[in-house]
Amino acid sequence: MSGNAIFVPASKAPEIRANRPTEVLILLGFLAMLVGIAAVLSPAFLSASNLRDILVQAAPLCLVAMGQAFVIMVRGLDLSVGSLMATVAVLATAFDASSNLMIPVIFAACLAFAAVVGLASGLLVTERNVSPFLATLAMMIVLQGTRFAYTQGSPSGRLPDGFRVLGTGQFIGIPINVIVVVVAAVFLGLLLHRSAVGRRIVTVGGSVRAARLVGIRHKRVILLAYVISSLMSGLGGLFLVGYVGVVDNWVGRGFELDSIVAAIIGGVALSGGVGTVAGALLGALVLVVIFNIVVILGLPVEFQLIIKGFVIVFAAAIHIRRTSAR
Amino acid sequence: MSAERIMRPLSVDPTKLVVSGLLLMVCVIGAAFNERFATWTNLTNVIEQSAALGFVALGQTLVVVAGGIDLSIGALVSALSVMIGFAGQAYPEWMVAIILGTVAAGAAVGAVNAAAVILLGVHPLIVTLGTATILNGLTLIVTRQPAGSVPEWVEGFAYGRVLGFPVAGLLMFGCFVLAGFWLTQYPSGRRLPAVGGSPEAARLSGLPVRKTLVVAYALSGVGAALAAIYFVARTGTGDPLVGEPLTLASITPVVVGGTILGGGRGSVLGTLLGVFLLATLNNLLNYLGVSTFLQWVVQGLIIITAVSLHVERRRDA
Amino acid sequence: MIELSGITKRFPGVKSLDNVSFSAARGEVHALVGENGAGKSTLIKTIAGAYEPDEGAIVFDGNPVKWAGPGEAKAAGIHVIYQELILFPELSVADNIYIGQEPLNRFGFVDRRALEKGARAILTRLGHSLDPFAKLKSLTVADQQMVEIAKALVSDAKLLVLDEPTAVISGREAELLFATVRRLRDHGVCVVYISHRLEEIFALADRVTVLKDGKLVGTRDVGKISRDDLVAMMVGRPLADIYPPKRLAPSDTPVLSVCGLKAAPRLKDVSFDLRPGEILGLAGLVGSGRSETAHAIFGSLQRDAGDVILDGKLLPPGRPDQAIARGLGLLTEDRKGEGLLMNLEMSANVSAPTLQLFRKGPFVDRAAERSVAREEIARFSIAVPGPAADVKPLSGGNQQKILFARWARACRRVVILDEPTRGVDIGAKVEIYRIIHDLAASGVAILVISSELPEVLGLAGRILVMKEGRIAGELAGEQADEESIMRLATLDAAPEAA
Repeated sequence: MSGNAIFVPASKAPEIRANRPTEVLILLGFLAMLVGIAAVLSPAFLSASNLRDILVQAAPLCLVAMGQAFVIMVRGLDLSVGSLMATVAVLATAFDASSNLMIPVIFAACLAFAAVVGLASGLLVTERNVSPFLATLAMMIVLQGTRFAYTQGSPSGRLPDGFRVLGTGQFIGIPINVIVVVVAAVFLGLLLHRSAVGRRIVTVGGSVRAARLVGIRHKRVILLAYVISSLMSGLGGLFLVGYVGVVDNWVGRGFELDSIVAAIIGGVALSGGVGTVAGALLGALVLVVIFNIVVILGLPVEFQLIIKGFVIVFAAAIHIRRTSAR
Repeated sequence: MSAERIMRPLSVDPTKLVVSGLLLMVCVIGAAFNERFATWTNLTNVIEQSAALGFVALGQTLVVVAGGIDLSIGALVSALSVMIGFAGQAYPEWMVAIILGTVAAGAAVGAVNAAAVILLGVHPLIVTLGTATILNGLTLIVTRQPAGSVPEWVEGFAYGRVLGFPVAGLLMFGCFVLAGFWLTQYPSGRRLPAVGGSPEAARLSGLPVRKTLVVAYALSGVGAALAAIYFVARTGTGDPLVGEPLTLASITPVVVGGTILGGGRGSVLGTLLGVFLLATLNNLLNYLGVSTFLQWVVQGLIIITAVSLHVERRRDA
Repeated sequence: MIELSGITKRFPGVKSLDNVSFSAARGEVHALVGENGAGKSTLIKTIAGAYEPDEGAIVFDGNPVKWAGPGEAKAAGIHVIYQELILFPELSVADNIYIGQEPLNRFGFVDRRALEKGARAILTRLGHSLDPFAKLKSLTVADQQMVEIAKALVSDAKLLVLDEPTAVISGREAELLFATVRRLRDHGVCVVYISHRLEEIFALADRVTVLKDGKLVGTRDVGKISRDDLVAMMVGRPLADIYPPKRLAPSDTPVLSVCGLKAAPRLKDVSFDLRPGEILGLAGLVGSGRSETAHAIFGSLQRDAGDVILDGKLLPPGRPDQAIARGLGLLTEDRKGEGLLMNLEMSANVSAPTLQLFRKGPFVDRAAERSVAREEIARFSIAVPGPAADVKPLSGGNQQKILFARWARACRRVVILDEPTRGVDIGAKVEIYRIIHDLAASGVAILVISSELPEVLGLAGRILVMKEGRIAGELAGEQADEESIMRLATLDAAPEAA
């Protein structure tokens, strides 16, 4: 694919399969360590309510990161996630509905929209050979412009109350947000690691050419990856709006960077064909815990950025060490 | 034979023709729709406004040709502008040194980017993203609002005119010409596309790959510094958010101008044309009263169109 | 000219070179042979300065040397032409020749005119006329190799190493290469020549050194050793027949019929039939369109015209998945880039084209995959730790066997093999020939594409020779020998067949 994941020469053999369970365990350990640090700094950290809050806060990022992982696995990138989240949020309020009965309709419409966007990005990449970076960048900008033009800068419209419940409510003591993330993680994990479809995704990610030569219809596989990412973004956007309670044009801002960082921390390689859903999920949690530590330490919010910057570079470096040391 | 030889360097590739054509089209439409468009004042305005974009796009071109990408440009511009602002306020008599120091700082950050890519083996996308985030954080800690000030004469850099031409525009143009020349005629410059296109071949041929990368990223940092100086000259203060749109904006003219993101192929001239096209388009859309929002849409569509046109038809099913 | 003594080089987990001593003189063609993994590549990289030996000394042109990098060795006059040519596809021929040492004018920038003149002069010296301004990627592989050699001459190479130069060229182009090598030798250049093809060594070299398992087996004068002795030295044991006995005439109804196949840019018009149990050879120069034929039939290359009929039904173009479903498989030339799935384990590599057979509902039955893989490991004697192992670190021969296992399992009607033993050492080659033979015996029709003429002749019952995108002729039985193949592959076509 010309214009493939930029700067990763197509001839570079993809990294050797890292031992998946070990990778995930290492991440888990790292996360545990971070939680430990946070607990030391602030004993209240480990309280049930705080942990619950953190998980709820992390939920949208987890969803988007998992979706992003799929796209990165097929040697792509999805820069449109944040913009899509906001556009979906705006779309949801555009219904101006107050009845909770409309919620399934809104969900269906928004997810359908997200899927179409994903399909469009994917088609740009597979049919027009546009580099994923540019295709999704362009998509991000187009969505942004359309969204702003529609709302004229200030979104309006109502959301049914049920949205807030979805975003902040609980079901047998567990936040609904979290349940959705867990269900999504299980589903996506099974999809990627156990199903035939997932096997095809991993194969295409390793080498499109080799995948074609064993009879895989690579375009469909790549399209699927982009659609999955967009659906996750759509889902994330809906839940974020429910959580925040207010729609603004910048919902989801920064998610494109954060989801990529989360995936990379989680061991998903930019060169494709390597990575786990659990890794992306844990990567997202790692980021959120780090942010919280920054807050606990009373440091200005900007420190989050600095730490995020270092984490992203070193996480990538560590993963590269691990996979090329074999 | 010699006629052929003369023609060869002029052989124009289709992308540049398309971009030039679009540029011409935009100018014609502009002139037709709005009489204020086709004036000298407006032209100089456009050139002036494209200076910052030009500096960063040039830097980005060099990095992309060398096989990388620099996503830290925007953050660097912001950081440097704040630095100039504060230093300029505290030591106005040292302004010249401060300006030189900024250029050096830009180069240094670029070198750090390159070092991380080389030593850690991490993809430039991630390294520069990391650098950008760190710089953003640092800058915002120093100040969240525009701050600092500079002596008045600095503003001449943004608003000054030499023989009717904007200083900034001339400088930008000069940089492009120098860079284009260097990239195609000087051995040290020709290494960039060699390293970008075939890094393994370059290494095995004994080319100084590491040095080349460091130079490319450092020059990108210099481009960011120049853009920062320009912004400070324009507004008189440093601004921690000024560079935000620049990162992605720096890529658009590069891509539109025909430089492929994979490295090894690229054209400074193409980027220059891209910069003018976007600046003029911007200008035109402003005159036509098109909202910023729709301008975004147009920008996105342009990227898609430009890149789709570069497609090399593949023979595979 | 150069003398290495007691060279030892270690890599994590393996001793690549163990106390190897090697010397080559000025004006000599010295061949370096050995099975894959014997250490030839490491030795070359040590000579070139890309690796530093852990022990041992190098003396070059009378002086002891210790290079810090390939740049230094190059400056001293050592030039290596690797199999993966180190060229810049986007730059021109002249740029490539002079990379790193461009002639400068007094302003410090590149003197274009001198560049062009110099390039033309060198190319003429080599007996080639290439356009110095042509972009490298537009040249054939053989021409690109010439550019590499030109590079060596420009830097005044005293020692030239050629690493399997004929792996990607053959026939007349190879002859030209040999002539060039001889010319260089007569000029006093020391040439170290690595090749798997023993005929070349006997034709070209003065002395030959054999490496095995990182150790030096011995150095002999080529005039004083026989081919069998050489093979014995390489393998460590005498080899009986390399090629299994040829099969008898297969049944009449073709399983595969190709008519008027055309695919830009190289394939012009190819038609032939293939019968079950038959081994059909496809020979021809590099660039004659053999691989394109294979890919066009399989569906990985878009056809412009022509039909492919498999078992009496048309095979739709551009659909490798359909080809596989109907029993037609392709083992590609480039196993690392296109064949193996490096990020998957061995069992997944075997099951890849037939994944749907391993499904349990929407899921993949890994246990079944692995048990099938175990069968194949046993059947083909693949040296691999287990079905869950990585494929990347395996030797060429074993990797190839995995691909054979894949396609033998997946495709029961036709298998196309493109350079099945490229980069595979002698021992594994013999095993692969047996595999091919057994496959044919079980009724699979096989099309073998190979640039190694003895291989084609040894395996195939019938040989098609391609030239410039068309079939130039067909040979069978006693008619088939190297000379007649080369004649068909190179002579200008007789009155053009329709």
